[in-house]
Amino acid sequence: MSKNQSTQELLPLTPPVFHILLALAGEERHGYGIMQDVAQQTDGALQLGPGTLYGCLKRMVAAGLVEESGERPDPELDDERRRYYRMTPLGKRIVRAEAQRLAGAVTVAMARLAGENA
Amino acid sequence: MTSESALIGSVCRLYSFLLYAYPPDFRRQYGRPMEQLFRDRCRDLARSSDRGRLLRFAAHVMADWLGTTVRERASAIWSAGRSSGKRSSVTEWAVTLLIYLFATTTLVQAYVVPTGSMEGNLLVGDHMLVDRMAYADPGPIGRHILPYRDVERGDIIAFLYPEDIRQTYVKRVIGLPGDRIRLENGQLIRNGCRLAEHYTQHLANHSYVATENFPIAPDGYTTPRGRDMFEHHVRDGELIVPPGMLFALGDNRDNSADSRAWGFVPRSYVVGKPLLVYWSYDAPTEELQQWSLDHIIDVSQHFFTRTRWKRTLLVPRSQRAEPAGGAL
Repeated sequence: MSKNQSTQELLPLTPPVFHILLALAGEERHGYGIMQDVAQQTDGALQLGPGTLYGCLKRMVAAGLVEESGERPDPELDDERRRYYRMTPLGKRIVRAEAQRLAGAVTVAMARLAGENA
Repeated sequence: MTSESALIGSVCRLYSFLLYAYPPDFRRQYGRPMEQLFRDRCRDLARSSDRGRLLRFAAHVMADWLGTTVRERASAIWSAGRSSGKRSSVTEWAVTLLIYLFATTTLVQAYVVPTGSMEGNLLVGDHMLVDRMAYADPGPIGRHILPYRDVERGDIIAFLYPEDIRQTYVKRVIGLPGDRIRLENGQLIRNGCRLAEHYTQHLANHSYVATENFPIAPDGYTTPRGRDMFEHHVRDGELIVPPGMLFALGDNRDNSADSRAWGFVPRSYVVGKPLLVYWSYDAPTEELQQWSLDHIIDVSQHFFTRTRWKRTLLVPRSQRAEPAGGAL
């Protein structure tokens, strides 16, 4: 996939990809940090296994949504070196577009369902 | 702490072995961080020391592994097909299959419920996975991290049928070694205590074995092992479970050939613990025991209508009998 393709082609995002991007929105994280943050975002509903997480990251790196930002130890865990990931500008655009798309869908849903109850 | 880290080390080595099922490129690139993530998670769970969470994590990692190895293999073949340098994908698939075989034969086993003896909790046609590690003693070290415990009263177990070990049966454990067992008008009396069993069903309108009262004199349905049980292990109208044996009954009490008819289950015949129902299909007993062409056609025609979707991923649970009334 080229890095210049329009944002529309990548939407909608799958739930794991969307939540991984959200996990990286504020800061760089390593794999386990992403897994914990995604579980927190979704109240434990979405638990990413190692295969799912790194499979997604592989595809997201290929699509230019995230990039590796080197290896270093996590001061909060121990002195083992962990591979960190950060979001690219394209990733930021995509996650914003996806959030807007979802917000639009929620607005429509609220309006329809409210009408149904009345 | 040292024994715990040695333990986590051995589980992590098992996981790094499972990583060989991924395509080599993927493993080279992500194998190390995946191991790291797995190790981090294990350490966190070891700190919480909650066996349930550990078991869920193990099941989750297995499911994740099964799904993503296939996905990454397929994607590797797809990209190899497009690029020129196509490597021997046959050997790679063979490696994956071998590892699958190892995992499925030592860790879990697929099993289908062929008869209605556990009806109410397990239906005819429930296809389930049996956790073979549950009751297998993992040794002094493994015992701390693997969710191991010995068989308890009320557990549902899968075991080799003592009269014909080619068959696997599923029943509920009623008596452990040393227990005194009696049935009076269908009610269980264990070690002198009347028990209410909420898991039992009385669905049949006829009695298959002389089921209401036990132990009584052997009847026509009793096998040689059953007769041996009646002759040697009944004292003062009660059955006494000998060492190394279990007394197991079906939940569907009136229509179950169980320990009442064919005697005790040797502890060493226990295969494991039913883990979850992965597919439940409404079909008669004979068709489930042997796959015939008719059955394949039947499944392909009625897969969606006769699959009991509500039972998919159902977890059969252990249930304890509770005291009812006073002691005798």
